Amino acid sequence: MEVLHNLAFGFEHALTLQNLMYCALGCTVGTLIGLLPGLGPLSTISLLLPLTYSIPTGGALIMLAGIYYGAQYGDSVSAITMKIPHASSIVACIDGYQMTLKGKTGLALFTAGVSSFIGGTVAIVVLSTMAPALGEVGFLFGPADYCALMLLGFFCVSFVSSGSLLNGLAMAMVGVLLGMVGTDVNSGTARYTMDLPFLMDGIGLISIALGCFGIAEVVKNLDNKNVLTPFNGKIKLMPTWPEFKRIIPSALRGSVIGSVLGILPGGGPTIAQFAAYAADKKLSKYKHEIGTGCIEGVAGQAAADEAAARTSFIPLMAIGIPENAVMALMMAAFVVKGIQPGPNMIGTHPDLFWGLVASMWIGNCFLLVLNVPLVRYWLSVFKIPYTVLFPAILFFCCIGTYSINNSLDDIYTTAVFGFIGYLFLRLDMEAAPLLLGFILGPMLEENFRRAMLLSRGSFNVFVNRPISATLLGVIGVLVVWQTVVFIRKLIKSPDHHIHSDNQGESAKAPTPVAAAATSGSLASGE
Amino acid sequence: MNLNNRNFIRGLCLMAIALVFGGVAYNNYTLGELSRSGPGLFPLLVSSFLFVIGVLTVVRSHFVDPVPLDYSVKNIGIILVSLVGFSLISHFVNMILGIVFLVFCSTLAGTSYSLVRNVKISLGLIAVAFAFKHLLGLSLPLY
Repeated sequence: MEVLHNLAFGFEHALTLQNLMYCALGCTVGTLIGLLPGLGPLSTISLLLPLTYSIPTGGALIMLAGIYYGAQYGDSVSAITMKIPHASSIVACIDGYQMTLKGKTGLALFTAGVSSFIGGTVAIVVLSTMAPALGEVGFLFGPADYCALMLLGFFCVSFVSSGSLLNGLAMAMVGVLLGMVGTDVNSGTARYTMDLPFLMDGIGLISIALGCFGIAEVVKNLDNKNVLTPFNGKIKLMPTWPEFKRIIPSALRGSVIGSVLGILPGGGPTIAQFAAYAADKKLSKYKHEIGTGCIEGVAGQAAADEAAARTSFIPLMAIGIPENAVMALMMAAFVVKGIQPGPNMIGTHPDLFWGLVASMWIGNCFLLVLNVPLVRYWLSVFKIPYTVLFPAILFFCCIGTYSINNSLDDIYTTAVFGFIGYLFLRLDMEAAPLLLGFILGPMLEENFRRAMLLSRGSFNVFVNRPISATLLGVIGVLVVWQTVVFIRKLIKSPDHHIHSDNQGESAKAPTPVAAAATSGSLASGE
Repeated sequence: MNLNNRNFIRGLCLMAIALVFGGVAYNNYTLGELSRSGPGLFPLLVSSFLFVIGVLTVVRSHFVDPVPLDYSVKNIGIILVSLVGFSLISHFVNMILGIVFLVFCSTLAGTSYSLVRNVKISLGLIAVAFAFKHLLGLSLPLY
């Protein structure tokens, strides 16, 4: 009953005309930008984050959340219609694009929209019941436990986003080191600033995000030189009743899987999609059709995607630790607005917390009534050639960086990170763990130093506390499992050489089906 | 020892980053001890860990098929020049000229180049910039 009361309280805050406007604006702009090739949720959020600075706190958070799920829907639209995969919509490329080839684009888009709605609704129930309870758990965490949780987050994110533990972990560590730039809080020493005054406060998060995700992606697309053929087919949205009935079971299954996987460290939409897709392949009534373009292949993953996107807010708001890069950006936005996410947040800012929860559901309704019917108009974005589009993207990157401190110097930092991001891209290093490392780095250091201070320099504290011991145990299992897999492959291959690095490539595999097969089995094997 | 192997180069890069950060931490900042750590200890720990990852990556690259490194200096160069130029021109002249420069310079990286189209893009972006300034209240040094 208390939950209902709280939700009503939240709706009271979210349903003001202003907040509704911010929510609608966020969803629409998010979808529009998310549609563009190479701009997934991460780049969309970092591009639009500066726009929310001048908006009041509640509205800003609601708008950002709207941008996030708008961008996700936009992603799946471009995946379904044109097979442009982003990290967050690889699975949608499989059956969704097959449906387009069969001329059922409208049905696929409708299925994705409705399933997202179902997924989002289930996730909000989970969120509003679990987050306050988990908040209580958050109070049990000591410095050592926080350290262990963050480390586990690095391991899981590395594994999920780049498929290879080693690559992702390396990037997370580079991110942690970049996070050290600036003034050390404990001693006041300036670290790695090269005596440049604007580095005293550390490197700007937006510079890193826009450099690595915006500019580097633009250059990568320019290098590719392949011209996109815009989608020109007809879109008939309304499904028949039997088709509609097929959506429901799959979407519900996906919602549950997504809600659970969204809460786990390193979890989130990507892994949830693969897991839901794998589950549908095993459990669905129409499993023989999956892969050839059937409703279940779209519905389950879309629901899981949306559900995980919502429930991944739980660790951020209940414990104060973002579990993936998107949430890390969200956390940065919270902090800019003067709110420290964590166990205290629900108590001190109940209006924000419940308002955000309620607005998520409102955002879902907007997606359903605004974006699904209007999607055919959104798609006309693709009629604009990339040669026109990319100067505009560059311009928005510049304005985004500039508007944080009204400083043109920040654009140089962004340019430097554009270059670094491009190098990383070419070396096949995923930037998402870097961003997470960058944001968690200072927190990790602070908690590590505190834990060491309390334990008088003994590492036993990490093993003696049950929470941190468990979390470190999970890390140990992950490492051992990865090593065993590698060595096994090495022994099995005749010339002791591993030929296709399919794990590392899975994120951008040319054939998403193969990627889904490998990662799907990974997900179900866990 | 193949310098065109992406995996191998990646390992080297990681080791280099670790050495730079770790070296600076070790030489320039006080380390302290575990119970009362100075500003240098944590970066040193993290860079040592990164160095180990770099070594593992290099070792691993010997067992995995080499992936060729492909890159093009031209596009990234053009984009960086247009960003830096935009910032410089906005600083010393004004942002309208900066936008024009950004558009005309960056489109050199595109597949085709058209003056008329560039003028149109510039006009559009200038209009957007005015909208940002007057509707969203961003303080852009437009003129």
